Amino acid sequence: MIIEKIIAVLKKDALTAVRYRNGFALSSLAQIAQLATFYYLARAVGPQFRPEGMPYFLFLLIGTGFYTFLLSGTHGFLKTIQESQQTGTLEVLLATATPAAGLVSLGAVSAFADGMLQFAVYVGAGIFLFAPVLHVSAAACLLVIGFSILSAFAIGLFAAGMQISMHKGSAVLWVLGSSAWLMSGTLFPVAALPKPVQMVSYFIPFTHSLTAMRLAVLGGSFAAVVREVEILAIFAVFLVPAGIMFFSWMVRQARQNGTLSFY
Amino acid sequence: MNLIVFKSVHKIFRQRGVFFLGKRGTETRALRGISLTVSAGEVLGLLGPNGSGKSTTLKLISTMLLPDRGEVLVQGLDTCRQGQEVRRSVGFAVASERSFFPRLTVRENLEFFAALENVPRREVSERVGSALSWVSLNDVAGKQVMKLSSGMYQGLGIARALIKKPAILLLDEPTRSLDAAAADELWSLVRNLAVTGTTVLLATHNFEEATAVCDRVALLKQGELIAIERARDFTSEELRDFYLEMTGDGVAEKFRIGVPA
Repeated sequence: MIIEKIIAVLKKDALTAVRYRNGFALSSLAQIAQLATFYYLARAVGPQFRPEGMPYFLFLLIGTGFYTFLLSGTHGFLKTIQESQQTGTLEVLLATATPAAGLVSLGAVSAFADGMLQFAVYVGAGIFLFAPVLHVSAAACLLVIGFSILSAFAIGLFAAGMQISMHKGSAVLWVLGSSAWLMSGTLFPVAALPKPVQMVSYFIPFTHSLTAMRLAVLGGSFAAVVREVEILAIFAVFLVPAGIMFFSWMVRQARQNGTLSFY
Repeated sequence: MNLIVFKSVHKIFRQRGVFFLGKRGTETRALRGISLTVSAGEVLGLLGPNGSGKSTTLKLISTMLLPDRGEVLVQGLDTCRQGQEVRRSVGFAVASERSFFPRLTVRENLEFFAALENVPRREVSERVGSALSWVSLNDVAGKQVMKLSSGMYQGLGIARALIKKPAILLLDEPTRSLDAAAADELWSLVRNLAVTGTTVLLATHNFEEATAVCDRVALLKQGELIAIERARDFTSEELRDFYLEMTGDGVAEKFRIGVPA
């Protein structure tokens, strides 16, 4: 049944995206522009800068690509609620036989799929330009993606819950996303940050996701990848149940207060 | 068998105050201790003016809202504690055009909701087809929803609710945007559904509709159940009196005997 629901959501979102052709074309253009920016930024910094032993352009591609994948997935949860509030479909969706947490998770499927496509383009560009340097371990990549999605899932549920309760979940996610962008090693290595900030970055799941993904793409030791994945698993154990409980509680409160349709 | 039971149900909507603006919070008592029962296969009309609590009653059954006090039981399930199970058997026809995905076609919208309602994939096409037939929308199945008329939205809202073959169908002012012929069609649809065993709750402020379609009619006023009686016992004279005395209790007293304690 879950597969059928995922297919239905992907079909709905794909059809909607295709029928908004201009938006689809513009986002593709934006992606090309971003790739070009990274390329020229890396060129301006110079080849001597090799964070974590890799060319800076590659560092940027994997960092930004995977970070975007995780953030857009996380944002997918919030967007599902936000759009349903705006379009007026939230009450109807929450009156269906699919549980609320399941509904937002399904809504995020497209966001993850879209982010994955974007990440694949980034990695593709990396392979095209740096084929000799890359030793992609598919198994390690899948492991990292799986556990990273679990953390993103939990954070997404928190954001969706905030959106239901205060209708400003996007502001909260923007603050969290910007902080994570700064501290998780997206554009530069975490080691460049002051010590106290490095400590904080250790408690952000995305930091470990990016480190693990770079190791998986560059052919780092499997043990090193597993070490990061273990940390992600610990995050998941605590964050996933907490996220589900938080979101379910917020939906219940909205049903109680009659604010489900408010925006 | 009582399919729906309301036991002294209260619903209050609270608006928080804004301390800095010296604005006090407000409370709207949408339902004040309503008790009623609805049997399987019955068509119950909720009749009353705007703000009488009709939509709130429907939303409580659909679990879109939860009661502040009292209990709402649907097929013996408590809507507060067993909401997920309740939702499997309740179809709420929401007709607002904003409740559909405008760029998708009528059929695509229904297929999407069918998936969310756990309709097995092999049955989706047949269920969508028959739901569209029920509301005579087969001809526009391939049309984008944003191009429909308001009357068609009403039909589509009902079709969406019927997709899961609900034991209980909730209709909130279903003939609001319909012409007389379309309203007649909808009334026969409701009667046909009742014949097949579907319980229907129909909120309306149209007396003719309530008495023509429903087995029983519940009169609501400012969140209170004023009277509940068999539809055939409401004569047009009495209904007219009710209109006139909406602010008083004269006519309602005649029916108070039908209100559960």
